[in-house]
Amino acid sequence: MAGGLRGRLRRATGAWLPRAGKLDAGEVVLRQRRVFILPTRAGLGFALLLMVLLIGSINYALGLGFGLTFLALSCALVDMVATYRNLAHLALQQGRAAPVFAGQEAQFELQVFNRTRLARYAVRADFADVAEPRHVADILPGTHAILTLSAPTLARGWLAPARIKLSTRFPLGLFNAWSYWRPAMRVLVYPRPEDGAPPLPLGGGSGSSLRAAGHDDFAGVRNYQAGDSPRQLAWRQIARLDPSIGGALVSKHFEGGGDELVLDFDAIPATLDLELRLARMTRWVIEAEGRTLPYAFRLGALRFDAAFGAAHQAACLRALALYGADGGSEDAA
Amino acid sequence: MKPFATALTRDKADTLLLLASAVLVLAPHTTHLPLWVSLLCGATLAWRAAITLRGKRMPPALVLLPVAVAAMAGVQFSYETLLGKDAGVAMLVLLVAFKMLEMHARRDLFVVIFLCFFLVLTNFFYAQGIGSALLMVASVLLLLATQLSFQFTGNVPPLRTRLAMAGRMLAFAAPIAMLLFVVFPRIHGPLWTMPGDSGGARSGLSDTMAPGQMSNLALSEEPAFRVRFFTPAPVQARLYWRGPVLDFFDGLTWSRGASQASGRDLHLSVSGDPVEYEVTLEPSPSRWVFALEMPGELPAVPGHRLRISPQFELTADDALNSRVRYRASSHLQFAFQGGPTLDDARRWLLLPYGFNPRALAAGRALRKLPDPAQRVEAVLAQFREQPFQYTLSPPLLGRHTVDEFLYGTRSGFCEHYSGAFVFLMRAAGIPARVVTGYQGGEINPLDGFMTVRQSDAHAWAEVWIAGIGWQRVDPTAAVAPERVRRGLDASVPRPPPFGIEALRGMNPFQGRSNAWMAELRNAVNAVNNGWNQWVLNYTPERQRDVVRALQRKLFGWPFIALLTFVVLALVLLRFLRRRGEIHPVDALYSTLCKRLGQLGLARAQDEGPSAYAARVAGATDLAPESRAAAQAFLRRYSAWRYAPPTADPRLTATLKSLLLQVR
Repeated sequence: MAGGLRGRLRRATGAWLPRAGKLDAGEVVLRQRRVFILPTRAGLGFALLLMVLLIGSINYALGLGFGLTFLALSCALVDMVATYRNLAHLALQQGRAAPVFAGQEAQFELQVFNRTRLARYAVRADFADVAEPRHVADILPGTHAILTLSAPTLARGWLAPARIKLSTRFPLGLFNAWSYWRPAMRVLVYPRPEDGAPPLPLGGGSGSSLRAAGHDDFAGVRNYQAGDSPRQLAWRQIARLDPSIGGALVSKHFEGGGDELVLDFDAIPATLDLELRLARMTRWVIEAEGRTLPYAFRLGALRFDAAFGAAHQAACLRALALYGADGGSEDAA
Repeated sequence: MKPFATALTRDKADTLLLLASAVLVLAPHTTHLPLWVSLLCGATLAWRAAITLRGKRMPPALVLLPVAVAAMAGVQFSYETLLGKDAGVAMLVLLVAFKMLEMHARRDLFVVIFLCFFLVLTNFFYAQGIGSALLMVASVLLLLATQLSFQFTGNVPPLRTRLAMAGRMLAFAAPIAMLLFVVFPRIHGPLWTMPGDSGGARSGLSDTMAPGQMSNLALSEEPAFRVRFFTPAPVQARLYWRGPVLDFFDGLTWSRGASQASGRDLHLSVSGDPVEYEVTLEPSPSRWVFALEMPGELPAVPGHRLRISPQFELTADDALNSRVRYRASSHLQFAFQGGPTLDDARRWLLLPYGFNPRALAAGRALRKLPDPAQRVEAVLAQFREQPFQYTLSPPLLGRHTVDEFLYGTRSGFCEHYSGAFVFLMRAAGIPARVVTGYQGGEINPLDGFMTVRQSDAHAWAEVWIAGIGWQRVDPTAAVAPERVRRGLDASVPRPPPFGIEALRGMNPFQGRSNAWMAELRNAVNAVNNGWNQWVLNYTPERQRDVVRALQRKLFGWPFIALLTFVVLALVLLRFLRRRGEIHPVDALYSTLCKRLGQLGLARAQDEGPSAYAARVAGATDLAPESRAAAQAFLRRYSAWRYAPPTADPRLTATLKSLLLQVR
């Protein structure tokens, strides 16, 4: 009953909240009109207690009983203000949001600043649709707390966080004050790398058909990477290194005949599913980067020259993540 | 305390705090609970503390349930009921103690705390003094601190800080509570009555009088009622507070005769200015309402209907179990049934057959005096001239109480004298009766209230004389005039402390004689009376008066002016504080931006200090030293704003001097 009512109220407030649909750009200070407050279940219990105290005082003409009743009532009122003040005038800023691969948890970093002189305790935060908030922070005066909310990712592309709810019941737990925040932040979700993808198209310089990794040009050994075939393992080197002293598996490393590695989207059979092709490209980018092979990247009209390094990888993965989306506006960030 | 507290985990410390507040709440109840309940609660709480400290499991419900049922049976056995106030309180106390052993969720914590709040209230059934109020504040403080402690999720400040937080909440709550206390609309209780609610063991004036028995009523210092005079208070000797009139004597005991219909024609004629006063009657199981002889009209007692008997006794329709306050006006000069004849004169002449032959004969002998007034005077002279003694511990009397008193012991107090006097008057053929009530009272110079105590209880006589009516005669005054003039303490020596005669001079509580003790007593009395008037007996009527007085004061222009001033001051203060929230360095930065803006180099909305500095560096139309200063400013500001915080106490001063160089 109470829950239903609360839910309805919550929807109602969400509807008339002027900023409900809008994103909050930049810093947000929780001013009065952004903070809502309602009694908790315990608060309703306390109201019942107050009624009982009042009736008892009237019935037995307890002068001091009236005193207790009104003192308890006033404490509840003070608690209401204190709960509101525990949340109000906090400043919220969005923090970093690192790109993730689909399937991983996106991490949204929030910074909550307390620039007032009042210590804030037990401020809870989570996405609004989560029943029991998972994050709690104490924010002493002049400090800030960093909360990292994680959300599952399913598809590539931009992911904006759901509405975030900050709430508190401190100090007495009789009232729940809450505030909504929709930070104008988003996380780039790269396609999920394909599992069991074919090896890198080494030597496929000029758009020729895919070629299995060559065995002709031995270019040295490198650390074993997941996905290396057992035939590639450098058994002789492995035997020399004692695994108990930190030795590791090493793989033989072949260079594809000096040709540059080209990851060409169009070279993957178009009969495959688009997402699968993107996933394969993603896997290849990771793999090439892991082997520090310079790679050129071609995706539709987009052409990156051969290179490697974090920036190159990020640009490639970003292109893959946003492929097909109307890039103009999405690329703005 | 601290190393102990820090050695405990948070949960344990919180639970112990909850136990401590429960102990504080339950402790005052031990004064009225049966011993076994107190012991059981103590054992339960100690068990809970042991469980907490040792980290053991709580007992299963299978163990608790039989104990709880047995405790319930015990309550039934002790109180012979499960209903009613006292049994209910005992059950609640046990419930709180057992609930401590059955706490699992956060919800249970709230249940325990709320029950504790209610137990604080139930304590007021038994005590409502200032001490109880202080204990209440302490209990609420501890309960708030406990509730607060359970709300922390991360850092938990030390107990002292938490207590201070709770104290601050209380400090904010207290004025609101006081305002609510004064203006929240009060209604008359009770809304219902529970069995056993009435009939507390409070002493009051008795309806009968047996002069042969010892009475300890006279020694009780408990206040009977308090009086505030609106006109000058009459002298002590005229303060006769009329109570029950006793007219039937069976040889041993004086009692009230068969009650008659409410007096319609009382034939009271009064003269002189009335005495106006207000009586606050202490609760008692009786129905007597007291007024100075003689009230001109029936006082209005809120919540009760008053009756007046033909003997001019005031009674309420119901026991006056709670404090009541009423206004009355009395005329000290009056004539009561002053006609030539008395309707049922026989009633006031009745004497028991076969008792007190000597007194009967002596009374009859008085008939030879023609004037009834002379007969009265003769008996009073006898009391005055013969060696009669006023004492509160007279010897016990046998069958012929009046004879033994008049011709044997000759020592007694008001009951003996009035009883013997009325007996003699009736024997002498004059209608007479015993009137009981209170005589005198003590004015407290601090607050002007007069306190009339149980020890001021008194018995006097009334005789009816044709043409004059019922007339008050106080035979005790003939023996111990100071009893009437100055009160009981003056006429009866107090027993020495511990019964040792040598200690008499050392008794610090030697009644109303010692000057500074009297002052202290007055101060205590004034506080108690203020407490009664403002807290315990703040009735709907009194509230109406107070609110009306407040309204008169509040709606004058001085108050409205004050209110306006306060509101303005608050708004101003808020504005100033809001300004204070900006860090001084940020304020300097915005000043600089403004100044540069005036110089034609406004900062773009999205421009950070470094980018701004770069733009300033390229602005050739700015004076070189201004440019350098602005750049230095921006560099420092940027470092302060974005680098990890470093405490540079001179930063503000440096920035200020740089700012001055930008022209």
